[in-house]
Order: sequence, then structure tokens, then C-alpha cells
Amino acid sequence: MKKLIAMLLALVMVFALCACGATPSAEAPAAEGKVFNIYAWNEEFKGFFEKYYTVPEGVTVNWIITPSDNGAYQQKLDEALLNQANAADDEKVDLFLAEADYILKYVNTDATQDITKLGVTDFSNTYKYTVQAATDPAGVVKGVSFQCCPSALIYRRSIAQDVLGVSEPDEVQAKLDSWDKFNAVAADAKAKGYYMTASFAETYRVFSNNCSSPWVDENNNLQFDPQIEAWIAQTEEFVKNGYTLTAGVWDQEKNDQMFANGKTMCFFGPAWYFNFCMGNAQDPENGCSGDWAICEGPAAHFWGGTWLLAPAGTDNPTMVADIMNTFINDEEVCSALVANEAQFSNNMAVNAKFAEDPDYGSAFLGGQNDVAVFSAMTDNIVWENHTIYDQLLNEGLQNNLREYFQGTVDKETALANFYAYVNETYPTIVTP
Amino acid sequence: MDKNERTRRKGVSYAKWGYIFILPFFIAYFIFTLTPQIMTIYNSFFENYRDGLTQVGPNFVGLENYVKLFTPDKSGTIGMVKYFGNTLVLWIMGAVPQIVVALLLAVFFTSYRLNIKGQQFFKTVIYMPNLIMAAAFSMLFFTLFSPVGPVNQVLVAHGVLEKSIDFLSLKVPVRVLISLMNFLMWFGNTTILLMAGIQGIDQNLFEAAEIDGANSLQVFFRVTLPLLAPILVYTVITAMIGGLQMFDVPQVLTNGKGTPDRANMTMVMYLNNYLQTSKNYGMAGAVSVVLFAVSSALSLFVYNSLSSQYREAPKKRNRI
Repeated sequence: MKKLIAMLLALVMVFALCACGATPSAEAPAAEGKVFNIYAWNEEFKGFFEKYYTVPEGVTVNWIITPSDNGAYQQKLDEALLNQANAADDEKVDLFLAEADYILKYVNTDATQDITKLGVTDFSNTYKYTVQAATDPAGVVKGVSFQCCPSALIYRRSIAQDVLGVSEPDEVQAKLDSWDKFNAVAADAKAKGYYMTASFAETYRVFSNNCSSPWVDENNNLQFDPQIEAWIAQTEEFVKNGYTLTAGVWDQEKNDQMFANGKTMCFFGPAWYFNFCMGNAQDPENGCSGDWAICEGPAAHFWGGTWLLAPAGTDNPTMVADIMNTFINDEEVCSALVANEAQFSNNMAVNAKFAEDPDYGSAFLGGQNDVAVFSAMTDNIVWENHTIYDQLLNEGLQNNLREYFQGTVDKETALANFYAYVNETYPTIVTP
Repeated sequence: MDKNERTRRKGVSYAKWGYIFILPFFIAYFIFTLTPQIMTIYNSFFENYRDGLTQVGPNFVGLENYVKLFTPDKSGTIGMVKYFGNTLVLWIMGAVPQIVVALLLAVFFTSYRLNIKGQQFFKTVIYMPNLIMAAAFSMLFFTLFSPVGPVNQVLVAHGVLEKSIDFLSLKVPVRVLISLMNFLMWFGNTTILLMAGIQGIDQNLFEAAEIDGANSLQVFFRVTLPLLAPILVYTVITAMIGGLQMFDVPQVLTNGKGTPDRANMTMVMYLNNYLQTSKNYGMAGAVSVVLFAVSSALSLFVYNSLSSQYREAPKKRNRI
């Protein structure tokens, strides 16, 4: 008898629990979800978000972080977005991050939604290309970037002094403002025992960002822009003459060159690069913080950048808009990004304030006002000739040509391998 | 026991219990192996992939996927054939030493004349690498042999190399590393299987052979090997099927690219390439079907050639 009563009580409890669980989602479609899922490929934005954004009470933020290498992040995100309609409210993607290389894949589909309808309407202070990148062909804006990413030539002052005889940004820029000068200086650097660059793909973005045609034409034929050809020609020379190491852009071999005992003069990258990826240079013991400076280099370009996109079907639209507005229009937060995080924010007014501030300077860059340099560069950035395939085509080309540069295979084989890779990755693209 | 009961007992069929006990296996086999296998074959006749976020297909295309698979590219290479060759080379480089060493160790460990002490310890040690996840093992080698890794550092520090080498960009070293890893991971397992096989052989035969004056080589080739044949064939076939499906070690070591020059791209890595970004079930299905056909054919071939040889061996001896 006792057992029976115990069992009944237990059953009643279970039912009560079930009932509890069912009520909230059934009764409150108007209220917003309690779980906010953000998809990202690294911890960069997470850090800023946790520091500068106050999450509404009762909302839990979930970070789903997948590295972007080999397209892994896109795969994870695609599965989630394609399942968005069927997912439970707490499982839905509420905000996701995308890079310049594949942002179009999401912007040009229904997987993302119009953020002006959610309440993000003021783009007066954001840089034009960051809005263009997140705008679909019909002119609908689907997201914002919390950073602007003009990419600079980052050089070691001491090595520049040795090679060029000057170390101040203006003077260095004058000696490196075209590819011809850059290539000539590479020879001088080599003669003094230095490397011009530490990766065979170091200058890739500088060329590829200035392409006059996209990766595929209107019939989906793969095409090589003259800028890409120029990069290949330059890298052939650089590798043959020993002006560069043959490491990959993200390889440890390259990163080791950022230590004080490194022999490499030039790196290319935007603000996020020297803040987030040059940890070795900032190492208190073996680094060389302060021995660096930036200038525009041979050609204007940008690299990467993190856009926040609003997925269709989020159950937290207000919070999505709130986050976006915070990171582009909240002066306090944007200022903090510049002052504390050494970001180049996506707010012209804030950036202008820092650019004109004589007291502002980056300790890493030996006191140079990086915001002023980047501000001057933003006018030259264009957003054009992008496709949804860019990330993996850029990656694939670099990986396959690297074998050619290293001398493992001849150029024809390397290209054939690249085409094989393209056929496997994107069945719709027609390769030569 | 009266007559009646005896007849009744005769009528009871225990066979049904046999069927009931093996039923779970067949249900699991049907759901998890047979159905996916048939679905794979079915899928291989369709155009079915994703372009960005847009799903294309499934549209029936007949044998087009297979035609594409065997169409040579501009330089005349047929991808499928090349990757099959890679897989075979990588497997043979790993499996031959694996089976030879395992056989040797198994004979040593089971020999009552050698009577090796601390067998349990050695068995545990040689089995150990198999307990490590292949991916972790591969990652370890990746780090060891990277241009800034410890192997390069040691070689440069001792003056063996002038400057560090990117081992992972060279065809032969990468193949050797992959085979070495597969060898290290699997020879322990094979040793233990073969030991069980040798222990199953009647000890009297060894003693009889010795009394007849056979030396250890003769004992090995005339007694151990023929009687071990069934287990050996089983080992070779499972090793071969495993080898044809080689994936994790080269995938992690070459970061999924089969570098250099796709010379370390195995068939399953090739299959995986189709599934990664484009979710190309049609092409991946076609690769799987070819892989399935090839493994079946090779298994049959190995089974027939190895086992028939030993099946007929005693007869020949009788004739002499």
C-alpha cells in the first residue's frame, strides 16, 4: 500500500513538472526568448560582448563557437540556419557572425532578415563599405559590422631603420607605396639578412582586394583576375629569392617571426590582426612591443571584419537590434572599443575623436595614432566583386599553390589540384 | 519416462529460440547497415548537393556521377584511380610490417622454449597505442614533425640538418609517417589475435615436429603457418578493409588536404571532400559504391588465394 501511494505521488510530481515545463512557451508568444544563441568562429567578439553589453535580465546567452578552417564554421551554421524553422525557440540561431569572405552567402538569402525593420536604422556613422557588404541585391540591410577593417602594412621599426634608414611611418610609406618599390626593398632586406614577409600568402589580400572581377563570371566559370596573377608572380619571385618564408598565414613558423629575435620586416593586417593575432610580438619577455608601426603600404585594402547578421526566425528580435545598435552607435561602447581594446570601431564620429586626440597613441605601435592612419585609409576601401565562394576559393588557391612555391609540384599540377578541389567543394563552378 | 512424454519432447522445436536470439543482430544490421548501404547506392544515381544555402536536386541523372568520377582531368589524371592507388600504397606500407612483426611477436610470445617473462606487461605495452584516439595520435605527429617542432629542433641542434625541413610538405616522409602510425596503432591488436590463434593449435603437434627433428623455421612454416591460416586470412582481410577505409590518420596529419600533391588523399578523404561543403550526396554516394565494390572484390580475392593455398597444402604433402 505504501509503495502504491509513493508511486502515485511520484507520478503526480512528474506530471506537475511536465505541466510547468509546457506553460511558458505556450502562453507567451509576445515575450522574447530566454535563450540567446550566438554562432561565431572565435572568441574575439565574445570578449567584447561580455564586457560591454548588458544582457537583459533572465536571458542566457549561449555561444556556439566553431573554428572557420576548411569551412567548418559555415557547415555548422548552415545546418542550424536550414533547420531554423523547425528548431525549438531556445535552439534557434538568434545572432550569427560572418566574415567578408562569405557574408554574401547569407546576406543574399532568406536566412537573414531586414534589420531596419528590427530597429537598426541609423547608419550615418558607419563606414559605407561595411553597410554595402551586408546589403542584398534588393538593397535590404541584413547586418552590421562592429569593426571597420582597413588593413595596413605593419612593420618592425628597428628592421626598417636598418634596411631603409628610416623608421617613421611617413618616411617608410614613401619608400613602400608601390609594388615596384616594395619588391626592390625586399632585395635590400634580403641583403641585410632579413625577410620581407614571413608567409608566402602575406600579400595575398593586398592583391585580391583590388580585383576588378569576381572569382566566377556570370556563367559560373572560374576566372583568375590579373591581381591574382600578379600575386602569383610576386610570390614566385619572393620564394625563389628567399625574400619570404613559405609558412602559411596562420602558421606558427610565421608567428615565431613576431618575437624580438624575428627577422621579418613586414606583416599586413587590420587593427584586429595586431591586437588579436600578434600575441608573440606583445609577449612581455620575448616580444618587441613598441618596435612596430603601421602605414598604408603598396595598395589600399581591407581584410576580414566581423559582421553581426540577424537570422530570420529569431525569437529575440529586440535584443538583436539592441546589440547591433550598441556596437555601432553607442558612443561609450565604441569609444571603449578603441581605447581599451585597440579596435578600429565602425563609428566615424568616435574614430575621428581619437584620430584628432594628440594624447591618444598605441603603445604597441610605439605611440603612433593608429586610428588616424586607419581613418585616412577608409576612403579607399571598395566593396565589389565578391561571391559566396570567396573563403574556400582563397584558402584553396593558397594551399594548392603553396606546394608549387615550395617546389613540391610544378605550377600546372598545383593548378590542377586546385581545380579538383574546386570541383569537390563547389559542384556548380566550372573550372578550366 | 513414459512413451507419451518422449514423443512430446521430440515435437518441441528449440530452433525458434535460436532465431529469436539472433534477431536483434539482424534488426540492427538491417537498420544501421543494410538500409544506409542501399540508400547510398540509390543516392549515387541522383544530382543532390547544396550551392551556398540553396539545395539543388535530388534529380535523377542515371550514371552521370560515375562518369564524372572516371573522367580524366586535363592532365590525364583520374582522381578516383589516383586516390585508390594512394590508399593501397599507404595500406601496404603499414600492413606488411604490421603483420610480419605481429606474427613474429606472436610466435615468440607463445613459444614454450623461449618462455618470455613479463608477457602481460609487453602485451599491454604493444596494445597501448591502439587506445589513443587516432586523431590525437596524428595531431601528436603533426606537432612533432612541423617545421618548428621538436624533431626539427633536435636535428638542427645536433647539426644533422642545416635548417629545418617541412617534413609534411614532402611526399615520402608523409607516407612513411602515416604508415608508421597505422603500424604502431594496429600491430599490438594483430599480435594478440595471432597469439590466440597459435594457442589454439594443439601443442602435441609442435612437440611431435621437434621429436622428428624439425628446426624452429621448419616448425614455423610447416606447422604454425598452415594451421594459423584461417586466423591469418581473417587478420589480413579485416586489416585490408580497415586500410581501404583509412581516414582519420591522414586526414588529421594533412589537415584534410592529402598534401603534398594530393598524394596522401585516401578514398574516404576524397569522399569526405564531397560531403563537407557542398553536401554532394550524389558524388559521395558514387565514391562509396566504388569503394564498396573494390573492397568486396579484394576481400574475395585475398580470401580465395590465401585460404585455398593452405587448404591444399596437406594434400600435396600426402602425395609425396
